[in-house]
Amino acid sequence: MTPSNLRYHQEHEWVRLEGKQATIGISHFAQDALGDIVFIDLPKVGTQISAGQQIGEVESTKTTSTIYTPVSGTIAKVNTDLKDHPEVVNSDPYGKGWMAVITVTDPAEVENLMTAAQYEAFLTSQKK
Amino acid sequence: MKHIAILGAGPGGYVAAIRAAQLGARVTVVENQALGGVCLNWGCIPSKALLSVVDLGDKIKKAGDLGIQVAGSVGYDPAVMVARKNKVVGTLVKGIATLFSTWGIEHLDGTGSLLDSRTIRVLKKDGADTRVMADALVIATGSSWPNLPLFPIDGRQIITSKQALDLARIPSRLLIVGGGVEGCEFASLYNGLGTVVTIVELLPRLLPLEDEEIGRFMERELKKRGVDIRTGTTVENVERREKTVDVALKDGSMITADQLLVSVGRGFNSRGIGLEKAGVLVGSRGEIQVNEHMETNVPGVYAIGDVVGKAMLAHVASTQGKVAVENILGHDRRMDYDVVPAGIFTLPEIGRVGLTEQQVREQAVSQGRQAETAIKIGRFRYAGLGKAQGMGDITGLFKVIADAESDKLLGVHIIGAHAADLIHEATLAMQLGATVAQVADMIHAHPTLAEGMMEAMEDVDGRAIHLARKRG
Repeated sequence: MTPSNLRYHQEHEWVRLEGKQATIGISHFAQDALGDIVFIDLPKVGTQISAGQQIGEVESTKTTSTIYTPVSGTIAKVNTDLKDHPEVVNSDPYGKGWMAVITVTDPAEVENLMTAAQYEAFLTSQKK
Repeated sequence: MKHIAILGAGPGGYVAAIRAAQLGARVTVVENQALGGVCLNWGCIPSKALLSVVDLGDKIKKAGDLGIQVAGSVGYDPAVMVARKNKVVGTLVKGIATLFSTWGIEHLDGTGSLLDSRTIRVLKKDGADTRVMADALVIATGSSWPNLPLFPIDGRQIITSKQALDLARIPSRLLIVGGGVEGCEFASLYNGLGTVVTIVELLPRLLPLEDEEIGRFMERELKKRGVDIRTGTTVENVERREKTVDVALKDGSMITADQLLVSVGRGFNSRGIGLEKAGVLVGSRGEIQVNEHMETNVPGVYAIGDVVGKAMLAHVASTQGKVAVENILGHDRRMDYDVVPAGIFTLPEIGRVGLTEQQVREQAVSQGRQAETAIKIGRFRYAGLGKAQGMGDITGLFKVIADAESDKLLGVHIIGAHAADLIHEATLAMQLGATVAQVADMIHAHPTLAEGMMEAMEDVDGRAIHLARKRG
């Protein structure tokens, strides 16, 4: 359920690093907790961001939740398909539901994020 | 019998006139434009007449989902929309004239100005130059259209809301300067009609005077509909081309639009009306200064509505008008601005009363209290309401802010269908000093949108029935 090739942030975002390009999205746990997603507000390409900052919002029929960036850098690309089909984040959070690609300033930041096993343990500890 | 002369027949002046007549006064009203003022002719009413059409159009666009068969796509006929709007306005204007005649109120169709504290000179439309002498005067001249050097209004490329309501053309690209109430309402209107709309707002968010959570909600809704929102920046330069207008923003970006709507910078109509002859004082912004009885520094001269620079709302003007004439006619009534409801007729609609969360926090801190413990907040979303689900209108939020100690309501904010109507339950509760528990414990009919008010009140103490149990 939790892909082992990704790293995870405590606010339930995932990161996939390829060279200096980090793709981010929200985890299966996050999409499941949100329920039916109806709108995703993403930052503009070129925006400078630093780790932990709010960069967008996800709205579901139940609630609105903030998207935090797990890494620092510049927004290189955003998933424009989500504008008309935000529900893709529910059906494929780790694939077609990706949200943005960030050109990272410090790839080491990714190393500090949780591994899949650590994230699953984190989720279990949160439930208690 | 006392004679009262009223300068201006907007929602302040005409209401003051009728109340004065009810109380037995002889009343003369001077107005050089249509009865009803900006509100009825170029503001509240016409904008709602047009927005209600777009609201319905939006619903028809969802017809397929609802099981309604509509042949072809939804299109708008601006000429019919404007004709209907004008008919609505005409009916209401005639209504005021009828009320005036039943109460024996004299209407002078002309431009008035004060000669002294008891006399208004009137240059009538028919050329006559007359004087009205009265026992008391009420100034209700309102506010003026934006007139800023950066935005020379030409009625073609650079327009005000007055022209925007005539839909003389539906531009393919509209730039709205100012993300306040008017800017957001016109963004809803033109976006609905198919125009590509950009809003430029100097402050970091839209609707800067509203509760921040509500302002953000509105911003999201407008973005969803495709409105381009540029906050935290301002217009630096405007170039009029033959058919377009090129605008440079302070953040360095350029926007080309077919029309630019100026939704900032209304002024007060306090010049050229003879205030200095009567000795009436105005403040630094040009607003007429009044006390809580709505009386100016000159005894017997009262002022009401936009021109006194309090809340620029039609219903506040009307209340001020009643307060003014009741005081003139021997009653003691004071104006109180603690409980003022307001509606914003965006899509979706907003209703609010009392303070915003930010104001409440600042107030708590100024009283030496911790904001976190001094206030309690309850929320409930429309999606949790059976009625909203049934209507297919599930976008919306109720937000209740209360004093943690006294349980008294400090502010209530609603965004969603019928928000401006729904706000009055909270308004009455605040007017009567009710507690959150009293409103929460009142029986609310099912299934209604008003149940959202009950649930949000219950949520203040974590006891809303239709909210998942909160952890921790």
